[in-house]
Amino acid sequence: MSDIKSDASNGAGSAGESVDKGQQLTQFQLVWRRFRRHRAAMFSLVVLVALTLFAFALPLVWPYDHGVYREIAGNQSPSWQHPFGTTNQGQDVFAQTMRGAQQSLKVALTVSVMATGFGALWGAIAGYHRGRIDAVMMRVTEIFLIIPLLVAVAALGGNLTGGTTWYAVALIIGLFSWASIARLVRGSVLSLREQEFIEAARASGASASWIILRHLLPNAAGPIIVAATLLIAIAVQVEAALSFLGFGIQPPDISLGKMVEGARTAAFTRPWLFYPPGLIIVAICLAINFIGDGLRDALDPRQTISRR
Amino acid sequence: MENRRKWLGAVGLGVSASLVLGACAPPGGDGSDSGNSVTWIVNQPGNGWNHNTPEGGSVYGIQFLHDVLPYTGYWGPDSEWYWNEDLIVNEPELLSEDPMSWELEIHPDAAWSDGEPIDADDFIWAWKMNSGDEDLCADNCNSRGTTLPSKFESVEGSDDGKTVTITMKEGELFPEWFVFGEDGLYPSHLVADQFDLDTPEGMLESSNWFNENQPTVSGSRYVMEEGAELDGRVIKTLNEEYWGDKPEIGEIILQVNTEEGSWVPALQNGEVQGASPATWSDDVINQLDGIEGVEYGVNPGASWEHMDVNMKHDWLSDEALRHAIFTALDVENIATRTYGDNFPDITPRTNHVFSESSPFHEDVITELGHGSGDIDAAVEILEDAGYELDGDSLTRDGEAVPPIRIGYTAGHVAREIIAELAQADLAEIGISLEIDTTNDLGGTLAEGDFDIMLYGWSTTPDFASSPEQYWHSESGSNFGHLDVEEVDEVAVKAQNTSSPEEAAEHANEAARLVAEEAYVLPLVDTPTFYFVDTNYVDNVEDNNAQSRRALWNQHEWTAVD
Amino acid sequence: MLVYTARRIAVAIPTLVAASVLVFLMVDVIGDPLADLRSMQPAPDPATIAAAEERLYLDRSIPERYWLWLTGLGGNGDIGILQGQFGPSVRGGNYVIGAELWAGLHVSVRLVSAAVLLALGLAIISGVISAMRQYSKLDYTLTFVGFLALAMPTFWLGALIREGGLWINRTTDSTFFYTIGANSARVDDMTGWQYFLDSSGHLILPTLTLMLTSYASWSRYQRTSMLEVLNSDYVRLARSKGVRYRTVVRRHALRTALIPLVSVTTVAVAGIIDGVVIIETVFQWRGLGYFFIEALTHKDSFAIMAWLMLSGFFVIICTLIADLLYGVLDPRIRYE
Repeated sequence: MSDIKSDASNGAGSAGESVDKGQQLTQFQLVWRRFRRHRAAMFSLVVLVALTLFAFALPLVWPYDHGVYREIAGNQSPSWQHPFGTTNQGQDVFAQTMRGAQQSLKVALTVSVMATGFGALWGAIAGYHRGRIDAVMMRVTEIFLIIPLLVAVAALGGNLTGGTTWYAVALIIGLFSWASIARLVRGSVLSLREQEFIEAARASGASASWIILRHLLPNAAGPIIVAATLLIAIAVQVEAALSFLGFGIQPPDISLGKMVEGARTAAFTRPWLFYPPGLIIVAICLAINFIGDGLRDALDPRQTISRR
Repeated sequence: MENRRKWLGAVGLGVSASLVLGACAPPGGDGSDSGNSVTWIVNQPGNGWNHNTPEGGSVYGIQFLHDVLPYTGYWGPDSEWYWNEDLIVNEPELLSEDPMSWELEIHPDAAWSDGEPIDADDFIWAWKMNSGDEDLCADNCNSRGTTLPSKFESVEGSDDGKTVTITMKEGELFPEWFVFGEDGLYPSHLVADQFDLDTPEGMLESSNWFNENQPTVSGSRYVMEEGAELDGRVIKTLNEEYWGDKPEIGEIILQVNTEEGSWVPALQNGEVQGASPATWSDDVINQLDGIEGVEYGVNPGASWEHMDVNMKHDWLSDEALRHAIFTALDVENIATRTYGDNFPDITPRTNHVFSESSPFHEDVITELGHGSGDIDAAVEILEDAGYELDGDSLTRDGEAVPPIRIGYTAGHVAREIIAELAQADLAEIGISLEIDTTNDLGGTLAEGDFDIMLYGWSTTPDFASSPEQYWHSESGSNFGHLDVEEVDEVAVKAQNTSSPEEAAEHANEAARLVAEEAYVLPLVDTPTFYFVDTNYVDNVEDNNAQSRRALWNQHEWTAVD
Repeated sequence: MLVYTARRIAVAIPTLVAASVLVFLMVDVIGDPLADLRSMQPAPDPATIAAAEERLYLDRSIPERYWLWLTGLGGNGDIGILQGQFGPSVRGGNYVIGAELWAGLHVSVRLVSAAVLLALGLAIISGVISAMRQYSKLDYTLTFVGFLALAMPTFWLGALIREGGLWINRTTDSTFFYTIGANSARVDDMTGWQYFLDSSGHLILPTLTLMLTSYASWSRYQRTSMLEVLNSDYVRLARSKGVRYRTVVRRHALRTALIPLVSVTTVAVAGIIDGVVIIETVFQWRGLGYFFIEALTHKDSFAIMAWLMLSGFFVIICTLIADLLYGVLDPRIRYE
């Protein structure tokens, strides 16, 4: 790992695409300009910011939190006081939705960043080195692909329940998500490493970690960004299943997935319990995926927005 | 013990519509021409065909086998015992109390569908199977319940096997002696040819054989078709050889369906005609509202929820703290908010052994102030015992009461509500409850890995052995380790009498003692519901006194054109 | 390549063993499989419990049990994966693990194969179209549909599709679509045509759901990698040399662009055994997903191990196929 650091401190421009510091700022501006032109992505960014405010800022001013209040009547339809109604036990569903969005966003983003980062690095190293290193590393990923998440969760959950925090939940989902990303990235790297610019970099004496970090991973960015954004959608849903198993976020705390699961048969009889969390899940996933889409397009250096 | 299937819950899930539709697909929905076919949902798979074993003896297994095996009698919806007059003629009565014995007269025409008579041998097999006696049955024959038959000295046949005389061991008594044969008798002649039933090993093999092979002969109104699947479909058609009146419904298809979200759509699509599930779902009930021709009902349940305290806990071993906790809980509020929506008549349960509808019921809770939600009274109890409540924190001798864990089966909706309400109630007296769910209720209880646990016991009308199982200091199911000599004594007495009244008296006494210890707080009777599409079938009645639930009187169901 | 394949299969054995050891330990940690028996009401006799412990080999230590499961040496002849025995089930002698697994596989394959093929075909086509007509209305529509199917929890999607089926039944006043199970009760009496109608009536709704959930993510990968390739130098070169766009796409771009999809789909196909859990539950099929969930519910360790061997085998075969396909799609990738 020290290898990587020393390479990074070499500054940009040793081999491959040469980008010096002066240009970096403009490159960021370039990306941003491209991104802004992606209308769906821009709109999604606005939606995501709004959702984030809803999840993190609005609870500060809302009169109830997600807990049980003796004075809240159970099972009420929506009203001005409780816009999404109340639960049987006397919780304000609006407050629960905000709290749920908060917890789900934290879990999903953490899983995505963690699993994608680790998986991409793992896959790139294996794919670049090939041979024995690749074989060993890939067998390890296979073990993680073989072991079913639910078994691991049941085993760990039974012993770790009680005050489970959101980052513990994120950790376990992440632990079982990186393997497929590792395989995905390795597949791309196997092909990329045979291309001319990598040959060139190798020939010019660039170290392995330099090639992996500066050339292979950026060139595999497309699938990686897609994987990272898809993973967010998946993580929200996996988290929901886990809460139900007693491992996920525990009551009285709440997540969107848990709310939707709890209200799954209520969609047509008490829609206010089901649709607010359900639609927010959909909105989060849509927004993040569109942003990922825009980001991918904007980061692709070869792409011109007006092509064809 | 009620244990909701959380794994399926986790992944299951469905949403469905309350679309009003006129009734309309062909009966049975399955293109069958056999007429008068009813498909009924069984909400979990069975695991074996021998209901005497733990695998086969779930309510689902008993529902599959109902009316294929001949049964001696049943508990009616009114919790009264009725003899099955098609099988047992001349109502049996006790012949003697010392030793206790009685006689069963089998209907002279009663025969298995392969022509063999139903006789004393079938009763003898059932006794040996459940005798708990290694000399009669190796490995206990894997029996799930030996309480009554283990008290038998002998089971003998006379009159060509058509009269059965049962004699209990010297000094043994049991108030509910009549339930022997309630779940159905097995055709012992099928195994008599294959195994030597006079040896313990032969009996064990015969028990396993019945568990692994679906019954193909019938001794009652329906015969089970070949190819029945414990996790799929069991098809029962009329037993042409039946000696009594034939039922109107010619075919009953039991369809295992674990996903409650799919029930109403399947009902609307004509794929099923009804269900009497073991679980409760407000939203399934809400969906049934307004569907034309669908009848549904809710009844106080076959199980009851309660809160158990672990007596070995450092702080909870203090009786005053337990009293204060039970007093601060508002059980009325708990009852309303768990089941009150679709079952407005729900009231707190006030006796551990008997529900309010039982003639033996006595309120042992209210006089103690438990479940009243009276915070002032609770604080007073605490202060009298030397606790100090200062704002949010409760201390005794300067030491703060630590957070107390409250456990329940993960994913159990009602218990989650109870736990959250209890959190809010107890916060008022400075006790902080920490929710700690489990996926392994039985294991967690057995290991004693809990402070306070929410769970349920089933309530069958036979009660005599319950106090001993719940509270006897040596019982494996006394999970919180109550150890009171007086309780042990009355619990034993409750099942060692021939009179139900006397047994009830002892059971009530035991309940009172337990309440005074503030060991177990009964909360609510879990209601159950059933629904049926009356466009196809009528005269369905739910029966919570039996595992068979609404299927108990399937032979009286009527077909609707 | 043959040597490579053979070596990979040989290496698969320790992988499987490692996974099996880990899972065996985990299942043991989950809980006591006899807990429900112990807390039955009325309480069973201790002898019954002791007999169950002996039958399930729970009276032995974990290493002993694992060894027994692997080899069957010292067992009652019902255990030992190397002898082709899967071991006894917690659910009693009636539940024969091998037979149940086989039956589940049979059911799941029916559900999965059609869905995977359809999803793959659709994903490639719509991914390519989306990439070639980037930012067109068509691209936006396909993107939106894909994201939506992905963003909706599977059970929700399944329930919506079920409602759609019911709506068609109602408007046509027929019962073409069924919502539960793989077949009706009395298939024996049916003619071939009736049987076909009955089977498809049961199959279509769950297949559609499974297809949509897989299609959603796969088409995203396809679109992305297609865009990458279309923007790459060699495609631009080919274009500038005047090769027709369609030819470039078909002959050059598509092949390379399939690589990420191959990675994702092969892993997904292997993982789909878990993936069908929700769909099998919503539509009440008795496939491998159901087998697994029931085994886990009962803490039925030997059943979970049997499932693991099957799914592990799939994972290994699928990753191997993926690795071989890389070489086919991009001849520069070599295996030494």
